[in-house]
Amino acid sequence: MFSTVLLFREALYGALVIALACSVIGVYVVLRRIVFVGAALAQISSAGIALALWLAGAGLALGGAANPTVVSLLLTLVAVLFFASGTRGRVPPDATIGITYSVAAAVGILLIAKAASGEAHDIFLSGNILGITRRDTLVLLAVTVPVLAIHALFYKELLFVSFDRETARTLGYTVRGWDLLLYLTLGVVIASAMQFAGVMLVFNFLVLPAVTGLLLSHTMRGVFFWSVVSALVAAFVGFSLSVPFDLPSGPAISAVSGVLVMVSWGIRRVLAHG
Amino acid sequence: MAPLVTFDRATLGYGRRAVLTDISFEIPEGDFLGLVGPNGAGKTTILRALLGSLEPLGGSVTRAPTLRFGYVPQRDQVDYSFPLKVLDVVLMGRYDRIGLGRRPTDDDRRRAHQALEHVGIDRLADRALADLSGGQKQRTLIARALVGEPNVLVLDEPTNGMDLVATTQILGLVRELHERDGLTVLMVSHALNEVSNYVERIALVVEGGFRIGTTDEIMTEQALSQMYGIPVEVKSVEGHRIVVARRRTIEVEGNRV
Repeated sequence: MFSTVLLFREALYGALVIALACSVIGVYVVLRRIVFVGAALAQISSAGIALALWLAGAGLALGGAANPTVVSLLLTLVAVLFFASGTRGRVPPDATIGITYSVAAAVGILLIAKAASGEAHDIFLSGNILGITRRDTLVLLAVTVPVLAIHALFYKELLFVSFDRETARTLGYTVRGWDLLLYLTLGVVIASAMQFAGVMLVFNFLVLPAVTGLLLSHTMRGVFFWSVVSALVAAFVGFSLSVPFDLPSGPAISAVSGVLVMVSWGIRRVLAHG
Repeated sequence: MAPLVTFDRATLGYGRRAVLTDISFEIPEGDFLGLVGPNGAGKTTILRALLGSLEPLGGSVTRAPTLRFGYVPQRDQVDYSFPLKVLDVVLMGRYDRIGLGRRPTDDDRRRAHQALEHVGIDRLADRALADLSGGQKQRTLIARALVGEPNVLVLDEPTNGMDLVATTQILGLVRELHERDGLTVLMVSHALNEVSNYVERIALVVEGGFRIGTTDEIMTEQALSQMYGIPVEVKSVEGHRIVVARRRTIEVEGNRV
């Protein structure tokens, strides 16, 4: 079975890189209660992929500018600026997220319906992990390494403004600026992963590993550790099961991720009552 | 000596809407001031202007160049779902001194332990913040404010949601920090009865009205009845002042209230 998996090792490496990047940023997504901002960004990023596929189908490649990742990244960054700005007049923040999510989903589906590519619909929904090449993995690493370096370097600043923004402000922190940095890294990771992992898996990696981490640890360091470990385990196990059993990789990884959350919840319960 | 903060005919508000107009007062070094008033009266507006997160619409708010606030937010403003130990939270008070992208040193940790010892909870340094009682959480936030070595300690509703014992202990601790360490303290609260027995001066904010004076000047039936617009009685029980609403009408500056 493992030898079959090894045939797709480049794809597995790519999935592991996506798991790593999303599971680190996901800790902030869950703790800051912006899970649905993550969902909306994922949907917008996905609509960007759909737009690129539609443009390609219509013969409008725009000299390479209509590359799915490029279009997805541009749309996601616009959305990031919108969410990080925090000014939406009288519309409640959660309603704004809901509007963005539903409009992006609708536009994405409409564009995909008219895209010429036969595989476009599948890619739009569940990504194309098996299609990840060595070059794709290197691109994913080129995004992930700087993002993780930023998070390591500015850990205490990002933590402080996330935990207690008012006090951070009194100590001279530009809270909006740090919010923007966090959202930008979130947007870049989502956009770079979307073409391969799809909406479901990217959203899964942003939420479930972080929840597993929170269930298994009482310290920030422990939460990051378990979040990353559970995401990597889910990616490896889910991928390894999907290949020989001819299952779609994204949903298989998501399902394993869900099992890990339930196991962690069970462990937490046992420890709490033990 | 120049005051640490000066409000000079300041008009405070949001957008074009003024909440408070013509506010003038100073906070000198060593002051122990209570900013008191009902919810929605404008305490937070004054607090934000003081801390510099709200620019006055008119007049001026001047802060001494050496001023450093030690801010203690309302307890429910802090998110307890973060898996943080007490020591981690206290260290945050030194983050701006540590500098961008740098990690806390052993000296920072030693100072954080000292701050915790100062507020009487060093034994809780390794406990999860979320597991503490309300009073212990408040002491943690006070320790975080102290570890940054401020010259003004600002507490926003420090006893909100606390029982009598915890309230008394926290207010006693704040008074001790003022008396023992000579720390300038500004305490924001809606609870006049609690604050008036601890602070030395009171700034009273009631529906756009503002009045400041020593506790003896403000805690009179005349002054309070005029500010609140209802007759009140100030009683003294074993040296503690208690303000109660009175049922009969009295004359205040020619008006029957």
